[in-house]
Amino acid sequence: MKFQSWGQCALAFFAIAYLAGVYFASSPIWMGFSINALIVTLAALSWNITGGLGGLSSFGHAALYGTGAYASAILQVKYGVNAWFGLGGGIAAGAAMGAFIGGLAFRYGLKGSYFALVTLAFAEVLRICASSFEWTGGGSGLQLKLMPGLAQLQIIERPWIYTGLLAVVGLVMFLTGLIKHSRFGAYLIAIRENEDAAEALGINTYKIKVQAMAISGAFGGLAGVLYLQLWLFIDSTVVYGSAVSVEALIGPIIGGAGTVWGPLLGTLGLHLLGEGTKSLLPNSPGLNFVFYAIVLICALRFLPQGFVGFAARFGAFNKKERDDA
Amino acid sequence: MKNTFNRRAILQGSGALVAGVAAPSVLRAQTPIVKVGVLEPLTGNLAYNGTQCAAGAKFAAEAINAAGGIKSMGGAKIELVVVDAQSRPEVAASAVDTLVEANVCAFTGATASALGLASSQAAAKYNLAQVFSIGTAETVVTRGLPNVFRFTPGVNKCTSIALENLKLLNQGAGNVVKTAAIVHEDGPFGSNMAKILAEELPKQGIQIVETIPHPTPHRDFSNIALRVKASKADILIPSNYINEYTLMARALNQQRVELKAIYSILGGAASNIKFVRENNEVAQYVMDCNHWYDPTKAESKALAARVAAAGLDLTYDVMVSYATIQVIADALERGASADRQKMIEALAASTFDKSIMPYGPTKFVNGDNTSAQPVNTQIRGDKIELVFPKQYASAEAVFPVPVKKN
Repeated sequence: MKFQSWGQCALAFFAIAYLAGVYFASSPIWMGFSINALIVTLAALSWNITGGLGGLSSFGHAALYGTGAYASAILQVKYGVNAWFGLGGGIAAGAAMGAFIGGLAFRYGLKGSYFALVTLAFAEVLRICASSFEWTGGGSGLQLKLMPGLAQLQIIERPWIYTGLLAVVGLVMFLTGLIKHSRFGAYLIAIRENEDAAEALGINTYKIKVQAMAISGAFGGLAGVLYLQLWLFIDSTVVYGSAVSVEALIGPIIGGAGTVWGPLLGTLGLHLLGEGTKSLLPNSPGLNFVFYAIVLICALRFLPQGFVGFAARFGAFNKKERDDA
Repeated sequence: MKNTFNRRAILQGSGALVAGVAAPSVLRAQTPIVKVGVLEPLTGNLAYNGTQCAAGAKFAAEAINAAGGIKSMGGAKIELVVVDAQSRPEVAASAVDTLVEANVCAFTGATASALGLASSQAAAKYNLAQVFSIGTAETVVTRGLPNVFRFTPGVNKCTSIALENLKLLNQGAGNVVKTAAIVHEDGPFGSNMAKILAEELPKQGIQIVETIPHPTPHRDFSNIALRVKASKADILIPSNYINEYTLMARALNQQRVELKAIYSILGGAASNIKFVRENNEVAQYVMDCNHWYDPTKAESKALAARVAAAGLDLTYDVMVSYATIQVIADALERGASADRQKMIEALAASTFDKSIMPYGPTKFVNGDNTSAQPVNTQIRGDKIELVFPKQYASAEAVFPVPVKKN
């Protein structure tokens, strides 16, 4: 979590100021909007472990997010398991799905666009399966019984939901920082930079990549479970749909892939942009997406290192670190 | 040159300017306004239905305002606050915040059960009433939320009435239908429907000779049409979504499958004027049991004219959304207040019988309108006619359909 420039400090300050300011906003819209953004941030942080740190770009992170959500929902709806155990089950299922997809894909040496397409295929297959079997609620999806209270992980008061999500996002960012600066993180970054060289240095690249997928799956599963606990309803399109996969990868790419703050900054920035364009064009539903897309293309074109990389150019603490950013 | 703008002149001018600017707001204040929310998926995969619903709500508000507004509230005009659910449950739930901030007294929506489940749950926290235009999943009304009011029938009621109507139609035709083929999508909607039909049709003396599931999406219906043809079924009962329904109907026509009727329950395309317009030949005599208005009412005719003038499709989305705004307006009229709790109380006590739908007086039991009922429609020429029950019919049912001349 080490900042390399005053620009990055300012960026983090603005994000924290915004997140704190939500408590004092007169409009309830900001809190509702920020709650949704924080759930997406968790999915983005999940993608960031493999796509950002390890360079293993996935187009199908919905497979991990959806598996966590479905596992928890099935445990609660079909087996009457307490929501907290459902949370544990969802995280474990997400991790298992990540390890399974990773194990299978990396066993056959898939990388780059092939790996991305395989993850996409997994998400699609899981979506179709979830919409076809009665066990998963089929096309009707699964709905949790409304049982407000912390005992069932169903918090009604939105400031508390928001606070809880902030704490979880903070924890996952902290864990991301620990991973990044650990030996495991160094292996992962080495794989991203040059897998053959990493292997030549004695790193078990297969094991590291599968472990990364499992950690990513745990974070993704956590995001899916929290979505479920928040809205008490999931169906195959909602949690396995391609929109989830796109949102999970676009935040870190815009914010700064492989950085601790990038997924949060990118997701918040994009959601604010989306909300802003919607406010500017209230009577033209859909047109906000056009404007949003144009800004997105510009950001991709002119900020290849994301917000964090861009901010590193301003007031670098030393030149070497700026160049590394 | 002498400067003519002295201080007094400037003050006088400013006063006049302020008065001029303020005048419209003074005038506006004389007409009270009551805000009603419309939460629909205006973008995303449900955009067509959501946009149609929003249009229906707009037509209703215009009609109510033109008739003098809410009289018990000094002729208050209904102002709609339309928000986009983007076909995503979490966005639908967040959009409730926008409605609360806009200070709506209640809202209608949200086309799909998944969206409505999320939005009504979010609205419960604000004690804000949601009058469901469409939300057929029974879970909509089994959660015990006091702010939920489903005006239209759920899937259970639709299925049981559809089978009852089929029985009456068949009896009226001398029980000519003895065998049936079922083509259904393999999700729960189609599968559950097929299961119910497998249990209920034999009780009516109709033997099921073929049951064909298919995935969604599915594009090639040639083999399915040939299997239906080979089964020599008298009637086909499809349960699938709009695209599959359309392709299936085309394949049946191409393969010259002779059927005494195509009878749908909540058919994907069978009550959709777009299907009638774009596939007119294959759509003829297709029958459906679905939501539909009472075409004999003057207000229904006026709505049809307005929809046509606006160049829109007259679909059941427009009708049910129009009717839910009528229900909300009636609650406002009786409650004489836009207070959220009073709205919930007024809706719960609703006995409204003047909506455009063919329902009796509204009676909400646990949020479910027990007087709601689906009706049978049939495609005739370039129109969708209501054919059953007879007291609302705009045309006689053609059952079985005439044999095609090749």
